Amino acid sequence: MAARRRSHAGPSWRPGDGEPGRRDPADAPTSRSMASAAASGSRRSPDELRPELGSQDEDRGSEDPDSDWGSDTSAGSDSADLEPEWLDSVQKSGELFYLELSEDEEESVFPATSTVNHVRFSENEIIIEEEDYKERNKHEPKLKQFTKILKGKRLLSKCYNKKNSNDHGPVSILKHQSNQKAGIIVQQRYKDVNIYVNPKKLTLSKAKEQLKLLEVLFGIIHQTKWSWKRTGKQGNGERLVVHGLMPGGSAMKNGQILIGDVLVAVNDVAVTSENIERVLSCIPGPMQVKLTFENAYAVKKEAIQQTKKKKQSSTSDLVKFFWEEEVESVQQNTLNSPHIVMYLTLQIDSETSKEEQEILYHYPKSEASQKLKSVRGIFLTLCDMLENVTGTPVTRVPLPQLKNMTKDVAQTLKFIYASLDGAFCQVENVPCLDDFFYLFFQRALHCAKLHSSVSPSAQQYDVSSSVLLDNLPGVRWLILPQEIKMELDTALSDLEAADFSELSEDYYDMRRLYTILGSSLFYKGYLICSHLPKDDLVDIAIYCRHYYLLSLAAKQRIGQLIIWKEVFPQHHLQHSTDSNSEVFQEPEGRYFLLIVGLKHYMLCVLLEAGGCSSKAIGNPGPDCIYVDQVKTTLHQLEGVDSDINEQLTSSSSPCLSCADWFLTGPHEKADSLTTSPILSRLQSTSKAATPPSCRKTLFGDSSLKTRKPSPSRSSGGLDHGCEGEEGVTSNVHTTSDVVWKQRESQGSGGSEESGALLKITKKKSTFPNPFHLGNLKKDLSEKELEVYNTMKLTSGPENTLFHYVAFETMQGIFITPTHEEVAQLSGSIHSQLIKNFHQCCLSIRAIFQQTVVKEKKKALNGGDHSNSTNSAVSSLSPVKEYGVLFECSPENWTDQKKTPPVMAYWVVGRLFLHPKPQELYVCFHDSVTEIAIEMAFKLFFGLTL
Amino acid sequence: MEEEGPGATVHLLCLAASSGVPLFCRSSRGGAPTRQQLPFSVIGSLNGVHMFGQNLEVQLSSARTEDTTVVWRSFHDSITLIVLSSEEDTSELRLERLLQMVFGAMVLFVGLEELTDIRNVERLKKELRASYHLIDSFLGESELIGDLTQCVDCVIPPEGSFLQEALSGFAEATGTAFVSLVVSGRVVAATESWWRLGTPESVLLPWLVGSLPLQAARDYPVYLPHGSPTVPHRLLTLTLLPGLELCLLCGPRPSLSQLDSQLLERWWQPLLDPLRACLPLGPRALPDGFQLHTDILGLLLLHLELKRCLFTVEPLGDKEPSAEQRRRLLRNFYTLVTTTQFPPESGTPEKAEDVVHPAQLPRACYLVLGPGSGWQLVALQLGMRLLLLLLSPQSPTHGLRSLATHTLHALTPIL
Repeated sequence: MAARRRSHAGPSWRPGDGEPGRRDPADAPTSRSMASAAASGSRRSPDELRPELGSQDEDRGSEDPDSDWGSDTSAGSDSADLEPEWLDSVQKSGELFYLELSEDEEESVFPATSTVNHVRFSENEIIIEEEDYKERNKHEPKLKQFTKILKGKRLLSKCYNKKNSNDHGPVSILKHQSNQKAGIIVQQRYKDVNIYVNPKKLTLSKAKEQLKLLEVLFGIIHQTKWSWKRTGKQGNGERLVVHGLMPGGSAMKNGQILIGDVLVAVNDVAVTSENIERVLSCIPGPMQVKLTFENAYAVKKEAIQQTKKKKQSSTSDLVKFFWEEEVESVQQNTLNSPHIVMYLTLQIDSETSKEEQEILYHYPKSEASQKLKSVRGIFLTLCDMLENVTGTPVTRVPLPQLKNMTKDVAQTLKFIYASLDGAFCQVENVPCLDDFFYLFFQRALHCAKLHSSVSPSAQQYDVSSSVLLDNLPGVRWLILPQEIKMELDTALSDLEAADFSELSEDYYDMRRLYTILGSSLFYKGYLICSHLPKDDLVDIAIYCRHYYLLSLAAKQRIGQLIIWKEVFPQHHLQHSTDSNSEVFQEPEGRYFLLIVGLKHYMLCVLLEAGGCSSKAIGNPGPDCIYVDQVKTTLHQLEGVDSDINEQLTSSSSPCLSCADWFLTGPHEKADSLTTSPILSRLQSTSKAATPPSCRKTLFGDSSLKTRKPSPSRSSGGLDHGCEGEEGVTSNVHTTSDVVWKQRESQGSGGSEESGALLKITKKKSTFPNPFHLGNLKKDLSEKELEVYNTMKLTSGPENTLFHYVAFETMQGIFITPTHEEVAQLSGSIHSQLIKNFHQCCLSIRAIFQQTVVKEKKKALNGGDHSNSTNSAVSSLSPVKEYGVLFECSPENWTDQKKTPPVMAYWVVGRLFLHPKPQELYVCFHDSVTEIAIEMAFKLFFGLTL
Repeated sequence: MEEEGPGATVHLLCLAASSGVPLFCRSSRGGAPTRQQLPFSVIGSLNGVHMFGQNLEVQLSSARTEDTTVVWRSFHDSITLIVLSSEEDTSELRLERLLQMVFGAMVLFVGLEELTDIRNVERLKKELRASYHLIDSFLGESELIGDLTQCVDCVIPPEGSFLQEALSGFAEATGTAFVSLVVSGRVVAATESWWRLGTPESVLLPWLVGSLPLQAARDYPVYLPHGSPTVPHRLLTLTLLPGLELCLLCGPRPSLSQLDSQLLERWWQPLLDPLRACLPLGPRALPDGFQLHTDILGLLLLHLELKRCLFTVEPLGDKEPSAEQRRRLLRNFYTLVTTTQFPPESGTPEKAEDVVHPAQLPRACYLVLGPGSGWQLVALQLGMRLLLLLLSPQSPTHGLRSLATHTLHALTPIL
């Protein structure tokens, strides 16, 4: 993966730019945008487009700048009448999945999607283009240039256009047919056409004018002068657009060359209008000439063209993104472990004895799955007898996880398709479902490879945590300080209020299209603000998780992401049974999900049509005004970016300790681990000033990964403690370069910070985690300091907390240490600990879920207790707390003489049923006895969206 | 258990794998055997799905519905056992072990040869009838836990050394190496050779003795499922006191008549008082003088290497919950920790996914039951010993571990 660009925090684009994904012109054409159509491979036909879309091929008056949907006006763009580039990837069902990566990622992700030859071409081409327009459109992104070019052409050549429009229709249809017929033929951006030419003929036909070789040899008409007028300047020569075909010419006979194509090379020699004659005159005699054309379609919508090409393989691309390895082998692996999804019907028509007719849908079609498919009879029979068999013999995935996954899938599918039946029974959904389950299985079976993220430690964290966190019906939440939160809240409220000029009903004097039900804002995959009801939030979160959107935002900076989709949030569609007029009735509307991503931000908006807004008819596509509004909101939040980032690295949530710090020397007995020496010492001295020696050991332990206790540990800490402040400062400077560097990247001076550090250490009565201090804000007020103090979760004098997950079902959120926090606590033991923690939590959670289910049942049964209570007594059903004590020691202990040091830690899960289920999982050192309920109180306190 | 209601039933099906002929079906409802049977078509399809899978080289091991668990297991490709249980908190582990015990019991009575090479189904059916009694005792409620833990239920006699001496002397005198003293299904004392018996039979024999009605003396032919599945041995039992039996496992000699009252009197008359002291040990398992913490409501101590266990719910018997419930709680908790935290053998490969890292070893775990009951369960593993305790709600949660450690240290010299 390419290194993340350091400049990303800087103002690489301004809110007024209107085009967030601005790239360097040099690599613009290599950049791909990817749009995956949710509804499968077939391309829409032009007549099914929205009128606005279709009109761009026609003689659409670009003189009317405020055409009804004037796209970028609200974004303050300089090009008022331009279509947003995603418009062309809108499906006929109105759905849109448009993804454009930021440039670094693109390079790394798609180095070999097209053949080398093509890449070279595109690069050549870019350079030409770029030089052409550099001066004029310095700040215009590439895509717009293309649009402009085309527009300009149309504008200037009206007569031509009229003549041409007749040709245009059939041509595009022709394109279409070829595409649909073949199905496999992927529309290439470049095509090679071999044409037999005989230059000798040239002599026969009098060579009257120059610059007509193209016409004479191939029958390709290229009108230069219009272009001349348009550009007003002729540098290296202009592109050779096929403006017409000579009747009877070889180009027309060939049938592959279409009007609008651009000739880019002859026999692999790049050509422009300037050198074409020279090149062609070099053809010595009768021969096959290879002409390379850029597709007409591709020229117009270059970025989108890539998209179209990938529509069929969009998911594999998405997968490729995340693996960056040979997809082949991954797929091979996937196929080796049997897995299958089947949706079966139990109502078999006994009349038609067709084979396998009860299978409505299944995926994948591989050999291993054949076996599972063939044993489907087992499940069917069992189902028949016992009803509802949930356990299937799927390898490697623990059963509790599997159950959760099944539930998740069902929920997501319901969200997307209203019902499972609807999802599986309609033919047009099938390819889309294939993609869905492809992603699903990749995630289930190869999560280890999936998270190839920036640093190995973060990656490990991802891998180990995904076991648990992927299945929590909630969103990872980042606690933000009040001011930032307010800012975000305000921005979202502004958006939701929808009282901007264009969104207000007065403006157009018509009913507004959609009501914004709520929105939620994600940053790097963390939920930072949400104004959505819990059920909707969870639905959206699961959807995002499934399509890797969250991890995408976390790791790759999104150039631009726009998703538009009709959704069926179950929460809104369940109509209350009692027809009491007092009870709020959900309007019978339709719901649309709009997700817009920019850089690390992702804003999900749930829209309602019907109700108090106008009813949606047909399959409406994304409305530009709404998209732009959302985008503007994101732009508005640009400034908060750095604050949030800071919060990510040093959130006010409880401080963590690294397990490796607690490894005691071999002389320590495992059982007498009341207090580890280092920490008790720290505690005794931290009131004065943290002694440098301790710092040294701490840093040494964590950054250098030495596990041997350094000699200074055994020496008393108090003598160091009486050293002056200056000594401390200097010592800290020298010993912890690594950390300081980290801090300097935050953009503040080291000395100031160390001052702040000292201040804090003096203020705090407990030992503060040194790693968090550097990231504190410089203007840290004392009040805030107190907040940090109270957020120590464990009760002892030292901080013995290693990890935690707090899950709150009421709001559908959970909090857990951020990636950055975990990355700071690097240590071999610690990463194992975290992995173990999550696995343990999974089994604990399985027990909790049983309890929850039984409680629900009990609540349903209501009255009769005598039997149920008695039976409950003898079973382990209402579990409220479950703890496991683990012991661990360093992995490769080389010292033969001494026994390895042992560290013991607890993993404790606690379930709260009332008022609403809450789950808490903590991992802490054995030295202090903890009371889980107290910890839970501290963690959940003030945890409100 | 009547309060289980009509729902909790266990069905055990035994079929000949090749032909699919049912050999027997046993059912129990609420812990007591019933005559209620599954319809034949259901039996057929349950076996059918298993066979169908086998033909396609797919092993169907278990299925789970909301309230019922089904486990299939086929032995030696000739016997298929299927168990359906709708008991609350049944786990696959429990049912799998149940099937192992049931098959062991079948071998014990008819021998492995009869079962692997079925020539006459009707005759086999008749022969298997003898094992019904033992099999039913597995399906129902029992005071013992050996069927689940696969460890021998033991009790600790107050004067163990005397009994041990007498036992080895008696064994020498009769010329048999395998001798044990059994009080209501639990082993009080046994010779070295008896302790070395393999897993199914070491549990099965005391269980069998405990489940049989009172008799002065017995002479049973038994096959040992692990030790000698094809050659029968003789199991001789002599009732010393009501409830206290002397068991011998031997070849053709000595005959029962040779163990005359003279021999018995010579060895056991002097030890009458210690033997009497053993009688109440049945449910209590621990000698009178042994003091447990007052919070402890139930205790299960396993020695994983010796394959012995101590199981008692007797302390503070007058308080809630009832002994029955305590037993079930401890059984369920044992199943839970065995499946999640403490897998029986570290080498079991099917649990590979759970093995995070050898360095991350679980040592203890506890569980607090939810609102209402508040009972606490704690498990602690030290070396080869695994201790499970059921504690009353007033015991502080954070003190569970130290209490368990304490108890384990106190019990260590005993087992």
